[in-house]
Amino acid sequence: MGRYFVKRVLSTIPLLLVISILIFAFIHLIPGDPVRKMLPKEATQEEYEQLKEELGFNDPLPIQYINYMKDLFRGDFGESYKSGLPISEIFPARLQATLALTLWGIVWSVILGTLIGIVSAVKRGKVLDYVGMVIATSGISVPSFWLGLMLIQIFSVQLGWLPTGQLDSWKGYILPSITMGCSIMGTLARYSRSSMLETMQEDYVRTARAKGQRESLVVLRHAFRNSLVQVVTVVGLQIGGLLAGSVLVETVFSIPGLGRLMVDSINFRDYKVIQALLMFFALEYIVINLIVDLLYGVLNPKIRYD
Amino acid sequence: MYESEVTEMMKKRVPALMLASAIALSAAGCSGGNQPSSGSAAPSTSGTPSSTATAPDKDLVVAFNTDIQSMDPHNTTDTLSITVSRTMYESLVTFDENQKVVPLLAESYTAESDNLTYTFKLRQGVKFHDGTDFNADAVIANYERCLADTTLRQNSRVAKWESCTKVDDYTVAIKLKEPNSSFINQFTQFQIVSPKALEEGTDLNKAEAGTGQYTFKEHTEGDHVTVVPYADYWGTKATVDSLTFRAVPEDGSRVAMLQTGEADYIYPMPTVQADQVNGTDNITVGSVASNIMRYVTLNTNLPELSDKRVRQAMNYAIDKQAYAQVVFSGYCEEVLSCYPSTVSYYAPQTPYTYDLDKAKSLMEEAGYGDGFSLTLWGDNISAEQTGMQFIMQQLAQIGITVEVLPMEPSTLSDMIYVDEDQAEINMWYVNWSASSFDADGSMRSILHSDMVPPKSANTAYFRNSEFDSLLDQAIKTSDTDTLTDLYAQAQAIVWDEAPWLFLGNDELVYGAKTYVSGIVLNPDGSVNVTNATLA
Repeated sequence: MGRYFVKRVLSTIPLLLVISILIFAFIHLIPGDPVRKMLPKEATQEEYEQLKEELGFNDPLPIQYINYMKDLFRGDFGESYKSGLPISEIFPARLQATLALTLWGIVWSVILGTLIGIVSAVKRGKVLDYVGMVIATSGISVPSFWLGLMLIQIFSVQLGWLPTGQLDSWKGYILPSITMGCSIMGTLARYSRSSMLETMQEDYVRTARAKGQRESLVVLRHAFRNSLVQVVTVVGLQIGGLLAGSVLVETVFSIPGLGRLMVDSINFRDYKVIQALLMFFALEYIVINLIVDLLYGVLNPKIRYD
Repeated sequence: MYESEVTEMMKKRVPALMLASAIALSAAGCSGGNQPSSGSAAPSTSGTPSSTATAPDKDLVVAFNTDIQSMDPHNTTDTLSITVSRTMYESLVTFDENQKVVPLLAESYTAESDNLTYTFKLRQGVKFHDGTDFNADAVIANYERCLADTTLRQNSRVAKWESCTKVDDYTVAIKLKEPNSSFINQFTQFQIVSPKALEEGTDLNKAEAGTGQYTFKEHTEGDHVTVVPYADYWGTKATVDSLTFRAVPEDGSRVAMLQTGEADYIYPMPTVQADQVNGTDNITVGSVASNIMRYVTLNTNLPELSDKRVRQAMNYAIDKQAYAQVVFSGYCEEVLSCYPSTVSYYAPQTPYTYDLDKAKSLMEEAGYGDGFSLTLWGDNISAEQTGMQFIMQQLAQIGITVEVLPMEPSTLSDMIYVDEDQAEINMWYVNWSASSFDADGSMRSILHSDMVPPKSANTAYFRNSEFDSLLDQAIKTSDTDTLTDLYAQAQAIVWDEAPWLFLGNDELVYGAKTYVSGIVLNPDGSVNVTNATLA
């Protein structure tokens, strides 16, 4: 497994390089540039051309790319054209907000989602199964911006229990995490239910029952553990998505996270910020996939790496 | 960029209208038909609302829909950044509530008869928050910084100065390269930073070195800025304990914050919710006329649109009152010129009263009785699209088939700033606001014949030599009577030639708790909080 790990890590280097070229080409090919937005609106074409030249946007793209990569290797991500702040300063605070939200959103939704899944599978066809699946389907289908605004109306405006957003205190995390985790909870409940139903049919479960083991042990030790491979895959993919920031949740709850930064940067054509964000998202997916692959081996020792 | 800051703000509330209506329908119940009559029911901004509630604390929170672009006063053009920087930094002159230029860090100023030189007598005994004295050298250091750094947004303004020199310790003379009657208005945005901080290269996003009423406390990028009163301020001291500007992009959430009291003042108040919340939860809603002009440019290079009668017919075919209701829930005033009444030298013209018969006969006269087809470009923001569809429906009444083409703003500006022989533009649904509140700034970039794309945004390709010369004469004039006359003539030409569809003038709508007073919303959307009190 050690060799496998090293091989996977090394293979990300050329992959990231290719991704960086693609991203660079892509964001410079979309029409528009940040120059006009950096100038006062009365600015004339001469001023526009002058600033464009100074920012190096008139150089051929390959040259611009090489200059960018040179800075990158020196650890310099550049500055935002919009705010003039170094990206290395903007990024950590934004990431922290997104990370915190992702963490709380994932924790409750994974626990509740798998729990509903297990109960529904065990009580298949019974009332509890239907209740569980109604909760799951609602979680998936309710639009997060609507849910967010409803929660604000009820818990902030009407009851006055929780703030409308802002991560100033722990209370501020509650409503956004609920909003964020809802669809994951629903998705997970459905996946873990079907995965559990599958493993419950397996021979080893029947054997365990035949041995006269308690039903709770059969479910948790034999069926649940084996159904986890699917669950981990789903959780991995969801975390990847969440770490890219949720524009809607961040917007509704006024949270300065990566999702809003991404949208604002695209609107401004803030090239260097977009570039840094996309590279981060790519890297993050690679890392999460690697972790998920390694977890397979932990969960099911039959899986081998070579 | 051509779109005003307001458009910029609206971009941020893309899902906003949808969300706001979701809230309105689900929680508060639908209150259809409860529209304001052109916003006149709302109290005016200067009127102090009757205090029925007391403030829970002395911390004033103002929620805006965008985040602060930059904390460097020389690098701001958006109204929120200007709002924030004005609490900590001051300029030599400023606007009063009536958009008149008055001295601030200067004691007085004079414009010399050559129309090039302006002399400022500086206020004595003022110190920057870092202890440095405010004097002529400080002003010069600021000038030199803006001139040297071309990436600063103040650079293009300062580049139009010939020199900035010290007459004595407390007198500065600024000489322009060319006469510019807009100079003094633009100069209100030139804020003075401590020369010591500039020399030491202090990061103005993390520290502050102004002379203003407040001093910097904290800034979380994308979230909020907090400032606290500066104890040794030279003028009237602030009465609140702290002042926080928060970015709350979603309309529904911003209103909720006002309802819960997490925010004491919000701008903008979404017009669809304004009437519902007004008077509830100690909230008062108010509005002010803005400096934003809403219009559609008509490419006069096109054969159909080259005929003045067609352009006038199109103006007659638009129901301006209905436009204000449909797009702005009534928070939009009719304008009778090519710029709104909040800008100096406004000269109202005879209205193009909604009259389909007159419009049709003008079309007949021009030989287009059967109509023709045009495209209409605009930003892909929901409010803008509503406006564009409205124009499409109105023009269909006189046989003009309009294809509405909403586009992503940066893509759109790439299609607009092209050489004239490549221009594909027919009509552009757009708005303009001159932050300097002057007549030249409200017309030159969008109507002068030198300013056709790609140079600037005269996308009507309006070329009228008489108009051009009036504008060029006026910029070199300082006499008020002459200016009134010149600008009145210029406006009359534009109105008669109708290179645009003249649509209206947005009202800016804010919401505040009744215990807040003294906050002034300016026509450009910036907010003056220097006299704010919580009681």
